Amino acid sequence: DSFNDLYTSYVIFCILLMSVVILVISIFNAEFYAVVPSIPCSRIALIGKIIHPQQVIHSVVHAIMGMLVAWCAAVMTKGKFQFLAVPCTPSESLDDAVPQMCLNEYHLFFLLSGAFMGYSYSLLYLINNMNYLPFPIIQQYKYLRFRRSLPLLVKHGCVESLYFVRNFCVAYYFFGYIPKAWISTTMDLHIDSKLHPLDTLTGLLDLSLFYHAWLCGVFLLITWYIAWLLFKIYATETHHFPVQPTFAEETDQCLPKILNSNPPLIIKFLALQDLMLLSQYSPVRRQEVFSLSQPGGHPHNWTAISRECLSLLSDLTQRLITQQEAAAANGRAKQPAGELKVSPQTPGAVVTEDMSFQSQRSNIVPRASMSSLVKSSLMPLKTSPGSDVGSPFSSPALNCKMGILDVNSPWHGSVQSRHVMRRGPKLWTSGSDLQMNGSHHESFPVLSAARVGSEAVQPSFIYTWLQNKQEQIKNFLSKRVLIMYFFSKHPEASIQAVFSDAQMHIWALEGLSHLVAASFTEDQFGVVQTTLPAILNTLLTLQEVVDRHFKLPHVSSKPARISGSLVDTSYKTLRFALRASLKTALYRITTVFGEHLNAVQVSTEHKKRLQQFLEYKE
Amino acid sequence: AGCIVRAFAWHPHTSKFAVALLDDSIRVYNSNSATIPSLKHRLQRNVAAMAWKPLCASILAVACQSCVLVWHLDPTSLSTRPSSGCAQVLSYPGHSPVTSLAWAPSGELLLSASPVDTAMLVWDVSTENCVQLQWFGGGGVTYLAWSPDGSKVLAATPSAVFRVWEAQMWTCERWPTIKGRCQTGCWSPDGSRLLFTVLGESVIYSLSFSEYRGEMQGQVGGSKTASIVADLSETTFETLYGEERIGGEVHSMVWDPTGERLAVIIRGHADAPGSQTVIAVFRTRNSPVFELLPCGFLRGERGAQPQLITFHPCFKKGALLTVCWSTGKISHVPFFFVSAHVPCASPSRSPVTVMAMASASVREQPLFSEL
Repeated sequence: DSFNDLYTSYVIFCILLMSVVILVISIFNAEFYAVVPSIPCSRIALIGKIIHPQQVIHSVVHAIMGMLVAWCAAVMTKGKFQFLAVPCTPSESLDDAVPQMCLNEYHLFFLLSGAFMGYSYSLLYLINNMNYLPFPIIQQYKYLRFRRSLPLLVKHGCVESLYFVRNFCVAYYFFGYIPKAWISTTMDLHIDSKLHPLDTLTGLLDLSLFYHAWLCGVFLLITWYIAWLLFKIYATETHHFPVQPTFAEETDQCLPKILNSNPPLIIKFLALQDLMLLSQYSPVRRQEVFSLSQPGGHPHNWTAISRECLSLLSDLTQRLITQQEAAAANGRAKQPAGELKVSPQTPGAVVTEDMSFQSQRSNIVPRASMSSLVKSSLMPLKTSPGSDVGSPFSSPALNCKMGILDVNSPWHGSVQSRHVMRRGPKLWTSGSDLQMNGSHHESFPVLSAARVGSEAVQPSFIYTWLQNKQEQIKNFLSKRVLIMYFFSKHPEASIQAVFSDAQMHIWALEGLSHLVAASFTEDQFGVVQTTLPAILNTLLTLQEVVDRHFKLPHVSSKPARISGSLVDTSYKTLRFALRASLKTALYRITTVFGEHLNAVQVSTEHKKRLQQFLEYKE
Repeated sequence: AGCIVRAFAWHPHTSKFAVALLDDSIRVYNSNSATIPSLKHRLQRNVAAMAWKPLCASILAVACQSCVLVWHLDPTSLSTRPSSGCAQVLSYPGHSPVTSLAWAPSGELLLSASPVDTAMLVWDVSTENCVQLQWFGGGGVTYLAWSPDGSKVLAATPSAVFRVWEAQMWTCERWPTIKGRCQTGCWSPDGSRLLFTVLGESVIYSLSFSEYRGEMQGQVGGSKTASIVADLSETTFETLYGEERIGGEVHSMVWDPTGERLAVIIRGHADAPGSQTVIAVFRTRNSPVFELLPCGFLRGERGAQPQLITFHPCFKKGALLTVCWSTGKISHVPFFFVSAHVPCASPSRSPVTVMAMASASVREQPLFSEL
C-alpha cells in the first residue's frame, strides 16, 4: 500500500523539489567557501558579518529552502499536517450551511519550523566558520573520508535538530500569533476556535508534533550536511599539477607557473599541497624539479618554486614583525585603556613599518637584530616623562631614532644605548633616510619633511592638534563600557586572524625542506646548493620571529578543544602547526646535511643557531 | 613480568634515551649531561611504550593507560623534575589503554593504537587533531612498526591477522597467518622487507614489498606469500660448559638501522629442562639478495632474562644493542663492523660507545662479530 503512495505525483513532485533545494544549497556552498577563514576580531566585527548583505541573502535563501523542505515533509506525511487550510470543525449552530475554511495551525507550525531551521543553519554556518575548507592531515580516498565522517554527521544532525525544535517552540510561544494573524487575514481563513491554539503551553506540549518537527529537522540537517561534506571532500581533493609541461597547452597549468602567478586562493592552496606531496612521495617529479632547461641549462623549475616559497615565508616574517611592533608600540605609548588597537598611534610605529618594508628589499639578514634594536629604541618613549605622542618634541626625536636604524650605518648592531643613538643622527644623513621620507603614507605628509639631525622640523600645528583631539576622543570612548564591549579586540581571535592563512606556509615549509633533503642524494646538477644560503636565512629568521611572537601574551595558550564536533576548528591552532613544522623543516635539513652545512655562507648569528640545530639543542 | 623497566627508547639522533620504570616515572639519560630529568604526571599510569619524535631535539610520546602524553622537554635545561605543564595530553574517547606508538620517520604524524580499539589514530600533535583509521573485526592492535623509509606501517592484531598499511593514502592489506597472531615484526631500512614471527611457531618469516615509487598510489605492493627464512626450533649446541639447548619461540625481534644485524629473543619451552632465554644475533644483508646468517648468542648473568632489546639508531661504528634484563639492569653491547651502506651525516660528536647506567652496568662477554 505504501508503495502505491510512492508513485503518486505528489511524491515525485516533492522529490524533484528536494533536489532543487539541494542544488541551491550546493550552489551556496560553492559560492561562499573560503580556504582562509575570516575571523571576526571583535564583537562589532561579528555583528557586521551577520548583517552583511551577502549573509542576509544567505540566511533568507536558507530560510526559504527550509520552508520548502518542511512543506515537502508535511505533504508527504499526510495526516493532520497536509494542508494549510482545512474545513473547520462544524459548530453547534445549524445556520452555518457552508463549512468555512480554517487555518491548520499544525501545517503553519511545520512551515515556520522549517524556515527557522534554515535560518539557524545559516547563522551557525556563519558563526562556526563552516565555509572554511580544512585540508586533511592525511590523504585518503574520497569514499573513505566520507564514510568516516558519516556517523558523526548523523549524530550531530539529530542533536542539533533537537536544539532547533526547542528554540523554535520558545519562539513560537512568544511570537506565534503574528504569522497566524497575517496568514488568516491575507488568505481569509478563520481561526478555528474549537481547536486548541498552538501558541500556548498546552498546545506546544504535543509529543507527536514535536516528534514530527524533530524528524523533519533531522532530515533537513542531514541532507544539507551531506551536501556540505561532499563539497568539502571534493574541493580539497589533491590535484596533480605537472611540473614539466609535456604539451604546449599545459604550460599554464604547470606547477612553477601557477605558483608564481596570482591564482585564486584555492588553486594556490592545491598547488602548494601538491608540492608538499611530490616532495615527499614522488622521486620522478622531484627529478623534474631539479632538472635544467634545454638548451640554456637554467634550473627554471627549482628557481620558480623556491622563489615563491621563500617569498611566502618572508611575507609571513614581515607580517609577524609588524604585529609585534604594533603590540610593542601600543603597550608603551598609550595609557592603558583596554586593547584599543586602531591604526598605529605613534608616528614612530608608522615609520618603523616603512623602514621594515624598505630594508626588506635590501637585506633580509639583519632584520631580526634590527627589530630588536627598534624595540630598544622605543623604550625611551616610555621613560621620558610627560611625553605625549603628539608633542612637537618627541616626534622629531623619535624620527631621529628611527632614522638612524638603517642597515648601512656602522652603528647598526653595535649601539644599544639611547644616548649614543640620539647623538648618532647628527653625524650624517644617509641615502636611505631620504628614500624613506619619500615613501611615507599620505596621512602624515608633514613627517616627510622631518629630516634627520639638525634639520628636524616641527610637524605642523594642525596635525598635532588633530592627533590630540583623536586621543581625547579615544580616551573618552574607551571609558564607556558599552563601546569597549563591542569594540575590544578579542586577543585570541586577533592572534588567529594573523595566522589564518598559515596552511600555505606550512606546506611551503614542508615542500621546500623535503626537496632540499632529497637533493642531498638526488640533485645531479647542484641547483639546490646555490640557493641554500637564502633558504637557511629565511628559515632561521622566520624561526626567530615566530619564537618571539610566541612570547607575546595569549599566543602560546591553546584554545579549548572540543572533540567529536562536526565543525572543523583546525584554523584555531594553525600557529602551533606552523611552529612545529618550521622546526621540523630546519631539523630535516640539518640532519641530512650534517657537518656539510658549515660550508654554507650564512651570517655568524645564523651560524651559531645552525650549530644549535646540529647538536639538537634547540 | 616483574621487571623494573617497562619501556625503553633511544633518541633517534643523539645519545640520549628514556627509561620507563615500574613506578610510572620516566628517566631521561643523556651522555652529555649529568642531570637525569625524571618525568611524572598524574595521567602517566601503566606506561606501555615510548617513542621519541624524529627530527626533533626532545619530544617524547608516552603511551599511558588513558591517553598519550607528549612531553616537550627543553634540551638544555638542567632541571631534574620538568613540570607537568610540559606534557601535552592527547586523548580520544574509547581509545585506552594505549599500548603502541609509532612516529612517522618524517616527524609529522604520530600513530597510536590500543588492543581494544578497532581504530588506529593518526595524530597531528601540534594541532591535536586526529584521524581515525577504522576496520571491522579482528580486535585492536598489539604491535605497531613504521618502516624506516616512511612508506609502510605494520599493525599486528590479537587475532590471526595482521595488516600492512601504506602511509600515503592509508589503505591496507590484510595478511592472515595460519596458526596464531603476529608476535613481532621489523622492517628493513629501505622498507622493502618485513620479517615477522607468529606466536606458537619458532620460525622467522619474510615478506617482501615492491619498491616504493611515487606513482603507485594506494597500493601496499606486498608479495603474494611470505617465506620462511630462519628456523629457530630447539637444537643442542656443544659449548665449553657442556651441552646447551637453545631454541624455541621468538619473543621479540629488532633489526639494526644499517640492516646488518638482527637480534632475536628466543624463549625456550618452559617445561623442557635446561631451557633458557637467549638473544640470538644474525648477520643480515638485504641487497642484492636477502641473506640471514647466524652470528652468535648473548646471555646475561645467571637468572637474568632479557626483556627488551633495541638497537641504537645512529651508532657510527657498527651497531649497538641495548638489552634490558629482568633484574633491572640495562646493558649496551657493541658490534664493531664496517657497514656496507654510505653513512649518513650525523652529529659531530662521536657518541660514547658504552655508557654506564645508574642502576648497574654489566659488561658481558658476548660473542660479537668483526668483519
